[in-house]
Amino acid sequence: MKYFQSQHLSQSKHFIYLILCIVFTDKIARLIRFKFSCYFKQYQMSALEAFLLPFFTLSFSLLFKFNNQKKQNKHFLKNNFPHLKTPYKRYLYSNALRCLLQSLFLLLFKNTHKSSYLKKRLAHYFHFWVRYLFKQFKWIDLKIGKFFKRLFSKNKTSRKNSAFYHVAQARIWQNKMVKYAIFALTLLLLAIFITIPFSLEAQAVFISFILIVAYSLRRIKGQMATIVMITLSVTTSTRYLWWRYTETLNWDDPLALGLGIGLLLAETYAWLVLILGFFQTINPLERKPVALPENTDLWPTVDIYIPTYNEPLSVVKPTTLAAMSIDWPQDKLNVYILDDGKRPEFGEFAQQVGVGYLTRPDNNHAKAGNMNSAMRYTDGEYIAIFDCDHIPARSFLQMTMGQFLKDSKVCLVQTPHHFFSADPFERNLNNHSQIPNENMLFYGLIQDGNDMWDATFFCGSCAVLKREALESIGGFAFETVTEDAHTALRMQRAGYKTAYINIPQAAGLATDSLSAHVGQRIRWARGMAQIFRLDNPLLGKGLGAAQRLCYLNAMLHFLSGVPRIVFLTAPLALIFFNAYIIYAPFIAIFIYVVPTLIQIKATNSRIQGKYRYSFWGEVYESVLAWYILKPTTVALFNPNKGKFNVTEKGGLNDKEHYDWSISKPYLVLLGINLAGMVFGIFRLFLSDPTQISVLLISMCWAAYNLIILGAAVAVAAEAKQVRTSHRIKADFSGAMRLSNGHTIKVQITDYSDNGVGIKTQHQHLCKVNDKVDLLMYRGNKQFSFSAHICNTRDLQMGLTLKDLSLDEQKAFIQCTFSRADAWLDWQNNFLHDRPSYSFKEVQKTSLRGFKNLLFHAPKPLQPIIKLITSVLTYIHSFIPTKPKAQNNYDQNVA
Amino acid sequence: MPRIFIKGIKGGVGTTTVAANLASMLKKSNLDVLVAELDCKNDLGLHFGLPWGENSGWSYAKNFNDVSECAFVDNEGIVFLPYGENSAPELSVSSLINDLSAYAVKKKAWLLFDCPANINLADLPLNKSDIILDLVNCDAICHSFMYKKLKLLSQVKSVWQHYFVVNKYNSSSVIEFDLYSLWQSTMPLITPFFINHDEVIKESTAYKNVAINCAPYSITKDDFETLAGWLVSKVSK
Repeated sequence: MKYFQSQHLSQSKHFIYLILCIVFTDKIARLIRFKFSCYFKQYQMSALEAFLLPFFTLSFSLLFKFNNQKKQNKHFLKNNFPHLKTPYKRYLYSNALRCLLQSLFLLLFKNTHKSSYLKKRLAHYFHFWVRYLFKQFKWIDLKIGKFFKRLFSKNKTSRKNSAFYHVAQARIWQNKMVKYAIFALTLLLLAIFITIPFSLEAQAVFISFILIVAYSLRRIKGQMATIVMITLSVTTSTRYLWWRYTETLNWDDPLALGLGIGLLLAETYAWLVLILGFFQTINPLERKPVALPENTDLWPTVDIYIPTYNEPLSVVKPTTLAAMSIDWPQDKLNVYILDDGKRPEFGEFAQQVGVGYLTRPDNNHAKAGNMNSAMRYTDGEYIAIFDCDHIPARSFLQMTMGQFLKDSKVCLVQTPHHFFSADPFERNLNNHSQIPNENMLFYGLIQDGNDMWDATFFCGSCAVLKREALESIGGFAFETVTEDAHTALRMQRAGYKTAYINIPQAAGLATDSLSAHVGQRIRWARGMAQIFRLDNPLLGKGLGAAQRLCYLNAMLHFLSGVPRIVFLTAPLALIFFNAYIIYAPFIAIFIYVVPTLIQIKATNSRIQGKYRYSFWGEVYESVLAWYILKPTTVALFNPNKGKFNVTEKGGLNDKEHYDWSISKPYLVLLGINLAGMVFGIFRLFLSDPTQISVLLISMCWAAYNLIILGAAVAVAAEAKQVRTSHRIKADFSGAMRLSNGHTIKVQITDYSDNGVGIKTQHQHLCKVNDKVDLLMYRGNKQFSFSAHICNTRDLQMGLTLKDLSLDEQKAFIQCTFSRADAWLDWQNNFLHDRPSYSFKEVQKTSLRGFKNLLFHAPKPLQPIIKLITSVLTYIHSFIPTKPKAQNNYDQNVA
Repeated sequence: MPRIFIKGIKGGVGTTTVAANLASMLKKSNLDVLVAELDCKNDLGLHFGLPWGENSGWSYAKNFNDVSECAFVDNEGIVFLPYGENSAPELSVSSLINDLSAYAVKKKAWLLFDCPANINLADLPLNKSDIILDLVNCDAICHSFMYKKLKLLSQVKSVWQHYFVVNKYNSSSVIEFDLYSLWQSTMPLITPFFINHDEVIKESTAYKNVAINCAPYSITKDDFETLAGWLVSKVSK
């Protein structure tokens, strides 16, 4: 059949060729025939298309000069028609339309890149002046920086006989009256700076002076410069608040007044948290471990508690084995599993490895009750507590116990909680170990700051407590759902001291879904609110003023729900209701708000830079805001309500999904902010011009809110988590004995609880499934593990360890998880914060959030969204684009 | 100049191999080395690429001048002195040690002796800067020999520094792992490191070379580096 068809075709081809010969010269007719067969056979066009296309080309050749060189033609196409879809032939018709539009565009609009002489000169001058100004600015910047550096180094370099030294060392400074007088004077000065009403110009000068000082301090390292920054921030922010209270409330408009007062209260809260935060972190203690006595007979006995409720044995096992291998005299170390789940297999396991197993008849008071009951059966002088997923390093007790022996009043030594798995934020935003996580600020900076004021909190795990102190307060506090913080508070009331050592000595699993994470934070928030009511740290006996303030800040932190939501909705008041919540002219708002914000952001970036990047705090807070709002409010009014919920860990997400239920509140916020933006744009055109500036400020604020909310929405897209065991990055050496007896050096690059990733130094000849012995060291003890190779790539190799006996498991944990240096570099991996970079990251995340929303939209909406996006992209592909810049080569050819 | 005596607690624990590899490692760290074989089995040369038919050695020498005629230099520059095939040497071991020591002081070279397992240390002219490396394998025989040796050492009131070095250690063997753990916690004089069992040791002799040259990525090289480093630190003390 096909044969006949093609024969038929070739006959008609021949016929057409004859007709063509009548009209055209022989040469052209042959060309057309050749082109036709070319298009028809090679590009598989339809017969009609293949026939007509040569005519097009011919008619175009009357107008344009076609060169024979294909390459140049292609170049021409690429430069002048960059948006044509390739392969050209497939999108013939749409490309034809694109071509037409683009040709019109090229004909009608000027697109040449040649500029006139004058323009060139102007550009040159502009460039020159910008460079000149930049140079001048840099010079001034350098001078100011140097000046301040000199100013700050004066204290250090002052010689003993200098006047400054004499003045500084004078006895008069020790006099109490003088101290108070100076203090009062400072306060008075501060009060003047804060309360004196300035004209707008004066305020502008004042604030720019402060900004210049703050700016020039940015390169100066050291605590002194930070304290100056803090002082400036306190001044500006307090002055701002004063201005807000005295001048910016609109008493004539009840709606604006109500909303304005709401915003003002939220701002007051933020100011309070800011000031308390500055106070808390003004001089972090950075406590160092204290050496233990040489004679181990003097070392005290320690009980290790591992409370568990519903976690699987696979989670508790490594922790128990690691706890048993902590470096401490074996007769002075007792490990206990406190099982509230009362599971027989746990008892069996405990007996097998030789640790204590304690249960109790009831489950009253959750974790605190569990530990209280255990205290009745054990008698160690100290109690170390590990949540059942926190694997301790072997050096844990050596690092911490020295504090107790040095000072008998110390009742608690806390170490940071470090997580080797990604928390939901890190996993869903895919920024694990690129951006400091939520925890880092607390354990990296705030606890060290608290330690300065002797107000280290107990965090429930990775800590050692003194039994005597616990007994003096009647055991672990069980009245609230955060037994840890409450216990520490009570011990401090009883006159004991707490200490913090910022060296990670244990690592655990982070929560594995956003909802679990939120659940955990809800518990903390509720507990803190409960403590605030039941055992208010501001009142009651036994605490110093500084301790009270640190506790107050911790509690206030968890009340951030309402203010955060106020900030996320405040700009809408003006956009929707035209309510002037900040009743001031545009220029005043601009002069007060913007510099103050810049100053505060800069100071916070300086203090927290290594532990929390700018703007991420807002994202974290926004995610939690709605959820902690209710429990904290309820707990504030009725502190005895609510029960302990156990945070679930070690779970899997077998497929990617979007957690719609948890993101509902942010979706609502996002929706009203988006509506506000759209409405605002309408109002820009419709309302009278005097309002435009204020409207613009509100819209900027709403846009910022949109970015933050977008990032919050992005977190709800739960990423896949298929690995049951987490890979932990490592870098230590070991060896591998191959089946042929060769023993080669390897570097261990990562490990999990049943596998190891290694790197050899030379090209190896190992194959997948080869059996090998992995040799690893703990101190100068070598352990051998039989393993087989599961993957190889260049020098990299993956080993799987299977069917390890209990002893081997213990040895494996000793060689990996419980290495003393296993978690040491966690804080050093991060660079100091750069606000602009950080903002870009938040923006990127936010965009991702919006994309995720579209991608995960509910099924009925899905086709509509798909249709709209594809139509939009299709239309977009027709819009003419500017031709690309031509290089000299092309010009020469032309 | 430092004198290191390498002997096995019994035969076959790898004395000559360790001597040859240690010499090579020391030479790699730019130290001049002279290895002398005091063991009549005469196999030191095989580690340094000497043909198997070569049977000359210091046992034929009548005086120290003859001895210097018998020494070889391998292509790395290690000077080594094989024993030879003569079962009844005229020179006594003590005088050889003394003569070599005088020579080594002149040349500022390290002096390594590959001693037989049954050598009587009390007969040798040793002083308190001399280091004896007593090689052991992780097995029960060596275990009992070590306790015997400790007893002996306490009786003869040794002037030298005596150490036990574990050779051919294979931690995947249960008995070796257990014994070594025991020694680490209870055995005096044991060095804080060991030499791993590695197949390349056997293979390298087939190449007529030492293992650290044949298999630079092998753990053996690390082990000898550790041993050499430890010796240097001991000597410099």
